[in-house]
Amino acid sequence: MSAVAAGTDRRDEPSDPSRRRFLKGLVVTAGAASVAATIPQPRKRESPLGRQLAEEHANDPALLIDLTRCVGCGRCVNACKTDNGLAWREDQPARGPDAELASSNWTAVKTESVRGRDGQTRFVKSQCMHCLEPACASACFVKALKKSPTGAVTYDGDLCVGCRYCLMACPFSVPTFEWDKTFGRVEKCDFCVERTSQGKPTACAEVCPVGTLTFGKRGELLQEAWRRIGSQTYKYVPHVYGETEVGGTSMLYISDVPFEELGFRTGLPTTPLPRYTWEITRLLPPVAAGLGATIISLYLRRRKLLLEAEEAEGAAKAEGNAATNEGVRV
Amino acid sequence: MNAHPTPYDKTRQRWTFHWTPFRMFLAVLLVIGLFLIAYRLVFGLGRPTNLTDRWPWALWTWWKLTGVALAGAGYSTALMVHFMGRKRWHDIERGAFVVSLLGYLMVCSALILDLGQWYNAWHPLYSWGVHSVMFELYYCISAYTVVQVVEFLYIFEERIPFPLLHRVLKKIYAPLLILGAILPVFHQSALCSLYVIAKGREDPLWWSMLLPVFAVFTSFYIGSSVVTIENFVAEKTYGRPVHMRILGEMVRLSGGVMFVYLALKVSDYWVRGVLPELFSGSLLGNIALVELGLGVVLPMLMFMTPSVRASRQGIVTASAFAIGGVVLNRYDIVITGMAASTGQGFYRPAWMEVGFVIGLAAAVALAYLFLVENFPVYTEEDVAVAAARRAEEEARLRAKAAVIEARQRVLIGR
Repeated sequence: MSAVAAGTDRRDEPSDPSRRRFLKGLVVTAGAASVAATIPQPRKRESPLGRQLAEEHANDPALLIDLTRCVGCGRCVNACKTDNGLAWREDQPARGPDAELASSNWTAVKTESVRGRDGQTRFVKSQCMHCLEPACASACFVKALKKSPTGAVTYDGDLCVGCRYCLMACPFSVPTFEWDKTFGRVEKCDFCVERTSQGKPTACAEVCPVGTLTFGKRGELLQEAWRRIGSQTYKYVPHVYGETEVGGTSMLYISDVPFEELGFRTGLPTTPLPRYTWEITRLLPPVAAGLGATIISLYLRRRKLLLEAEEAEGAAKAEGNAATNEGVRV
Repeated sequence: MNAHPTPYDKTRQRWTFHWTPFRMFLAVLLVIGLFLIAYRLVFGLGRPTNLTDRWPWALWTWWKLTGVALAGAGYSTALMVHFMGRKRWHDIERGAFVVSLLGYLMVCSALILDLGQWYNAWHPLYSWGVHSVMFELYYCISAYTVVQVVEFLYIFEERIPFPLLHRVLKKIYAPLLILGAILPVFHQSALCSLYVIAKGREDPLWWSMLLPVFAVFTSFYIGSSVVTIENFVAEKTYGRPVHMRILGEMVRLSGGVMFVYLALKVSDYWVRGVLPELFSGSLLGNIALVELGLGVVLPMLMFMTPSVRASRQGIVTASAFAIGGVVLNRYDIVITGMAASTGQGFYRPAWMEVGFVIGLAAAVALAYLFLVENFPVYTEEDVAVAAARRAEEEARLRAKAAVIEARQRVLIGR
């Protein structure tokens, strides 16, 4: 109970150092007490589909993002911008409290107002989640967005028409659009596809000085994530964000602050979003065939009726003509 | 030149367009709209709109969804006339067709102008993203627009005879008719299925796996209301008679379709457990209630009541409510249901976005008037009635003038 109270207190007034130390002690004690009570187990995958997806993508390159370790230095942002030739724009902050993904930010590190259980400021790095079954790629009707065999969701700007359906489809609001360009394109993280496809870490993971970002295989990182949660129960919430969200993503987040408080969209379905749409679009051929057959048969029936009516009319006319002709002859 | 606008009749040789102050006002709106289009083409999408990465689709998308739904008047009427034996409805068919044609031309231009790299609009022809609803939409809506443009050639050819064209058109009549009945079902449904992938973001009051079915139902039943309004506008403008009997039959049928739609909608809420949210008294719940109550139930009951649908006022009021219901439904899918998940609240459009929409609407209105005055859109009987009414009206006015003149003469004489 005291842990919760202290945690709340902490968020509100983090300034007084002596008080801070005292409270920290409280947190540690309370936390240690609760370790024994609840050792979280990796949540069992509810659906066979979930299990199948996890197995299929166990060897995909992935990133484990441990938010408790991030100090907000922003070196990942620098590396990303340099590596991908993205501009620094004042109207699109990539760091700080207003940081968010934008056409010049493939990744952003946002300073959150919520504090961690250790009283430290929390930072959230965002970038494309590289879903196992990406909604954006399924929504893209020209295949400008694709899930590459090596795991990255890549974008081909020359193919793109700029309809922005990917922005609508993405459950994480990741793709961004160049609103200020005459011919706007979509911008988003490509998981450093040239590096990751060769097994090398992403630019951001390579430079991270505090071990927030761990590059590896998805299956192994998932185990590592649950190992950390299990070994330091007092610290982490028992949830790997990205494990089951929309069928799973290549980015796996762990945190000591509940994800919804950090601005993550929670409560997402565990079924990959493309499957909802596919349930509908796959009906297209049979529905088209059925509807086509109905319409054509209706039309043929109607035409037959019309022809009969015309014939009858024609016959009547012919009779009438014959009658007049006879009349003339007589 | 005539003092009043008159619909095309066979004796008309020259191209004409009757300017009135209201039409000039529409033309001004159109010109403003054209400037806004130019502005958008030069500066991109960001400046003339308030679109953001959180609101990538908003007002224009609503306008397109609404436009296509209302233009459903064309296919639903064609379906009834040519496939379901409502041959008597033929009198109102061309009016519905022209509304539909113009609606689709407007929506297609809006669709292209809404693309970041619009010059790539042909890319889906070779790069097939078949899993996307947009793919289905792209093919069906463009194919149907082409079908309608070709169908317009039948009307065109009546005004400007073209023997070769006539022969070709005669041959392709049946396939065109059939395509024109099938394609709309798919893009009507696709327009709303676009939001199926927004599961978890679209509010459950509007998200549903049945979105495509709802879309087909609404676009089908709204046809009669659009034709009703078109009929009354045509009477006011040209003195063309309102076909009360046909309209009555049409809206009665619509009433039935609305009932099925309502039943589907309510059972969908019930099955998904959304009914409590509907009646929770929250803003979204209330908006959904208004949408269903005033936009569906009320007009449905009015259409089902013989005395109401037989009265001119009744049928117009009910049609207006039904159209309002569909307009609001599309707004709710695009804006209301998405607002919470954007984190930016309801969408506030920029004036230029609104001006663009108004400009396009003005263009449709002017084009309708131009087509009616230069092509055989109305039946010959209707045009004859309109002319007779006009003559009667003029005779009445002349008689009135004569009486006044006579009175004045008497007064002066005194």
